[in-house]
Amino acid sequence: MADREVDQQLVERVQRGDKHAFDLLVSKYQRKLGRLISRFVKDPAEAEDVTQDAFIKAYRALPGFRGESAFYTWLYRIGINTAKNHLLANKRRPPTSTPFDSEESESFDEASLLREVNTPENELMSKQVVDVVQTSLQQLPEDLRSALTLREIEGLSYEEIAAVMNCPIGTVRSRIFRAREAVAENLRPLLETSKGNRW
Amino acid sequence: MKKEISALMDGELFEDDAESLLDRIGRGTDAHKDWELYHLIGDVLRQPDHIHCDLSAKVRERMRDEPTVLAPRSHAVKRKARTFALSAAASLAAVGVVVWMSQQIGTETFPPMAMQNNAMRPVSKDIQSKSNDYLMAHQEFSPSTDMNGGASYIRMVSYGSEGR
Repeated sequence: MADREVDQQLVERVQRGDKHAFDLLVSKYQRKLGRLISRFVKDPAEAEDVTQDAFIKAYRALPGFRGESAFYTWLYRIGINTAKNHLLANKRRPPTSTPFDSEESESFDEASLLREVNTPENELMSKQVVDVVQTSLQQLPEDLRSALTLREIEGLSYEEIAAVMNCPIGTVRSRIFRAREAVAENLRPLLETSKGNRW
Repeated sequence: MKKEISALMDGELFEDDAESLLDRIGRGTDAHKDWELYHLIGDVLRQPDHIHCDLSAKVRERMRDEPTVLAPRSHAVKRKARTFALSAAASLAAVGVVVWMSQQIGTETFPPMAMQNNAMRPVSKDIQSKSNDYLMAHQEFSPSTDMNGGASYIRMVSYGSEGR
């Protein structure tokens, strides 16, 4: 079952009245959508509010989602419209030369702009989270690190990773899980100490 | 279960397994936390410059005031029903074609076999005797010999000791 089909299953659950399924979609797409919206709304606090608004609008509009496009494409379109409407409502001009459409929005990377989204109080925490993840990754055995990197950064499927690493798909599945869990083990204590904001 | 969550978020789980796992994630808060945490790890690896706190709790809070959305059953169920109906129709059509073809083959095969039996009837004695004479006269041209009819072109020679 491809990633897009997992989204579609979650969408259908929401359409049947399962609010929890929408939680899973929010967890999955919140940072990607936040990153996209911060491209339009520069103020971090405002960008966070607009991201929440976009999710609520998406939830309300979900009964009309027919699955003709990928869920994330549809969600990003709502995100862009919400951000533009927010700027218009505040009598600010949205960027006229947006260099991407909703399909391309998956891959754009403007680190200097995106960094602005973090509020000062979250800046330290986000740095710590990044440090823990990257340090944990470096400490992993080579085979686990390679498997996780090929999956998360290169976006390869298990079949492709198995071909690259010359091992069975079951081994790839196991290595990726063990790598994630090893990093998660190091992250959990840090996240539990962050009061107020969940990560 | 964590291993299955890891495979699910990579889109590497079979549909039935994914369905039951999503049910279990819906029931357990720990499973939901693992889902969030694994996605956070992926986001950090892909975009370390854009990590912010979890918005899902705030979105969830706002959604408490939202009425539960219920889509008309058209999209999901209709699509599945249509897929099922199409596959059933295709199967029926295939069975129909096979049955029709077997009936066609059945009706066409037997008569020629019956006709073959007729063709095996012995010819009359008169024709047989005439043809025997003909065959005797032209035997040397018959391709049925070992030499494939080449025997007529071979000169029989012999030699003796007189000439020496």
